[in-house]
Amino acid sequence: MMRSLRTRLLAGVIGGMILLLTVFSLLLYGVIRSALVNQFDTSLSSVAQILAASVERGEDETEEGFDARHMSELQEDETEQGFDAEQMPELQDAGQPTYYQLWGPDGTVLAKSPLLGDRDLPRAEGLLEAPVFGTSRDEGGRPQRTVSLKLGPSRAGRGEENGSSSTNERAFVLAVARDAGDLQGQLRVLRWLLLLASVGMTTLSFLLGEWIVRRGLGPLNSIAAEIAAIRVDHLTTQIGAGHVPAEAIPIRDRLNELLSRLEAAFKRERQFNADVAHELRTPLAGIRSTIEVTLARHREATEYRTALCDCLEITQGMQSVVNRLLMLARLDARQISFKREPVRLAELVNSCWRPFADRGQERQIVFENCIPTETTCQSDPEHLSMVFSNLLDNAVEYADAGGRIWTTAHRTEGSAEITVSNTGCRLPPEQVSHVFDFFWRGDSSRPDTGAHCGLGLALVQRLVMALGGNTTAELQEGGVFTMRLILPITPWK
Amino acid sequence: MRLLLIEDYRPLQQSLAKGLREAGFAVDATGDGQEGLWYAMGNEYDVIILDLMLPGMDGLEILKKMRSQGRQSCVLILTAKDTLQDRVAGLDLGADDYLVKPFAFEELLARVRALLRRGYQARNPCVEIEDLRIDLTTQRVWRGPEEIQLTPREYALLEYLAMHTGRTICRSDIWEHLYEFDSSASSNVVDVYVGYLRKKIERPDRPALIHTIRGRGYRLGAEP
Repeated sequence: MMRSLRTRLLAGVIGGMILLLTVFSLLLYGVIRSALVNQFDTSLSSVAQILAASVERGEDETEEGFDARHMSELQEDETEQGFDAEQMPELQDAGQPTYYQLWGPDGTVLAKSPLLGDRDLPRAEGLLEAPVFGTSRDEGGRPQRTVSLKLGPSRAGRGEENGSSSTNERAFVLAVARDAGDLQGQLRVLRWLLLLASVGMTTLSFLLGEWIVRRGLGPLNSIAAEIAAIRVDHLTTQIGAGHVPAEAIPIRDRLNELLSRLEAAFKRERQFNADVAHELRTPLAGIRSTIEVTLARHREATEYRTALCDCLEITQGMQSVVNRLLMLARLDARQISFKREPVRLAELVNSCWRPFADRGQERQIVFENCIPTETTCQSDPEHLSMVFSNLLDNAVEYADAGGRIWTTAHRTEGSAEITVSNTGCRLPPEQVSHVFDFFWRGDSSRPDTGAHCGLGLALVQRLVMALGGNTTAELQEGGVFTMRLILPITPWK
Repeated sequence: MRLLLIEDYRPLQQSLAKGLREAGFAVDATGDGQEGLWYAMGNEYDVIILDLMLPGMDGLEILKKMRSQGRQSCVLILTAKDTLQDRVAGLDLGADDYLVKPFAFEELLARVRALLRRGYQARNPCVEIEDLRIDLTTQRVWRGPEEIQLTPREYALLEYLAMHTGRTICRSDIWEHLYEFDSSASSNVVDVYVGYLRKKIERPDRPALIHTIRGRGYRLGAEP
């Protein structure tokens, strides 16, 4: 498995190049070889035709009794008369010697080049309807090209009419051979040339391909370098601002999108950390200055007591902030496991209201739990009571003095809808969507202890989400603020 | 010296106000931005201690409005945000100093005193009038070699007069700088306190330092 794109591209290019060069070289070699051999054969063939013609001319002169003996006479005649083969310049060329051999119908050698000495040319088998070419080697191992042809087709045809066998055994066969060493030499040179050219081309194309691939992948490398240079505190850098090839544009765009998302996430994280620091620093400042001012001089025991109570109250507020932060972190990390058991909602809401009852009474707030007593749902009672405690805490904090808080529940398609409402909401409608933001507080004075740190509703939203439901906040006519929880029912009785 | 404390976190506001009052300052305290601005516009405070994140109106907004209306009180910002931008934004809008929460109460006091001196162009933390010596840092007073014990209110009066050495200060100015907004004390208490102060500071064998300018007020300094 090749991992580098560069190696793959290069291997592809070089492999293809080798394949193409091989095919091309083989084709070229084949064409040139066949042309050269053709030319050689044509020249060989023409010599053979001339020889054959001169032999046949001799035959025609002796009309009857064309037999071997006659032929041998004829041959002797020829030697004496016109068949002066030795006179043909082609047969004299010592550099490229040409030999001939003539066989009678019975296979006896009637004539052959004196140059052959006691060697014989290979006698072609078969019908010899057309001249037959072949390659053989002489006794010195040099390649030679031979053409064999049948003499006197009219005679042969007549032999067939007489009912005799029409094989060439009955016909005169002439073979002419020529040394083909030069031809083979030329072909060998051609082969070497093509091989060298192929190797050269492959090497060149490797170098060229290397360069092209490197150049082609350059933008990818530069993008990689840009990515490598990105630091966490500089996520706003957009990569590939310069020239980027079309193929890399989708990658660049996705990467830039990813960077923007990362930047946003980091920004949220920084803001969150700053908010947490702020939320903890202010109460810390409160504790510190309370202690320092108290210690600045000798005081009555009651004053120390008051200071300690103040510090305790601040500490409890801080503890609740820290607990909620931890809870949120665990929810985000999915480290909390939820139980599933039947929960009697009305009972749960009543027990959640108990800690706030005094505060409600102080401000003459009327609490009505309108959830039917028999209503149950399958959920986690501990976390669900955390949800209602936060909702009621919020309601009792922001309801107007003499106002009202009430809860309802009813069944909808596949889920339970529970509402917690309070009167006296002074939120502008456009700010209602912010109630789930971290550390967001309505535009009203912060309570004494800082227990309302702006985490309660954020925690509610995430807890309900983890329980499989969702939360919405609504502002209705007359300053009625309603938190609506949709919880899945499995099963709802 | 009269201070305005605008801080919405009640425990911090209460303890700071208590500590500052015990240090001899007259302190008005509020937790609401709008109300804070109203206080700042209506009175000539020596120092305003301002929290940045406030309900009603942001601390920086208060600062901007105050300065644009020509209020010259020294402003010390209290903030839980400690990023460079937060600090620079406050100082650029005309704050004189800032403190990041949580802080030591001693440091707050020292910075408030430094701002007061700056307000009265008194770089030297020691004021000397004839043989009367006032250490503004430790709030100790000497006449000649002898140290004089003063109550916080008496010291505050002396310090205010010392900051305006040689000038005549009217009773209402003194009252305004020594008493809080919701104080029920009448301006007659100024005369009472000046009387106390005279008893402690003046020596029969030494020239008088506190002079009554009839119909106008009081002046601290050597006889002209």
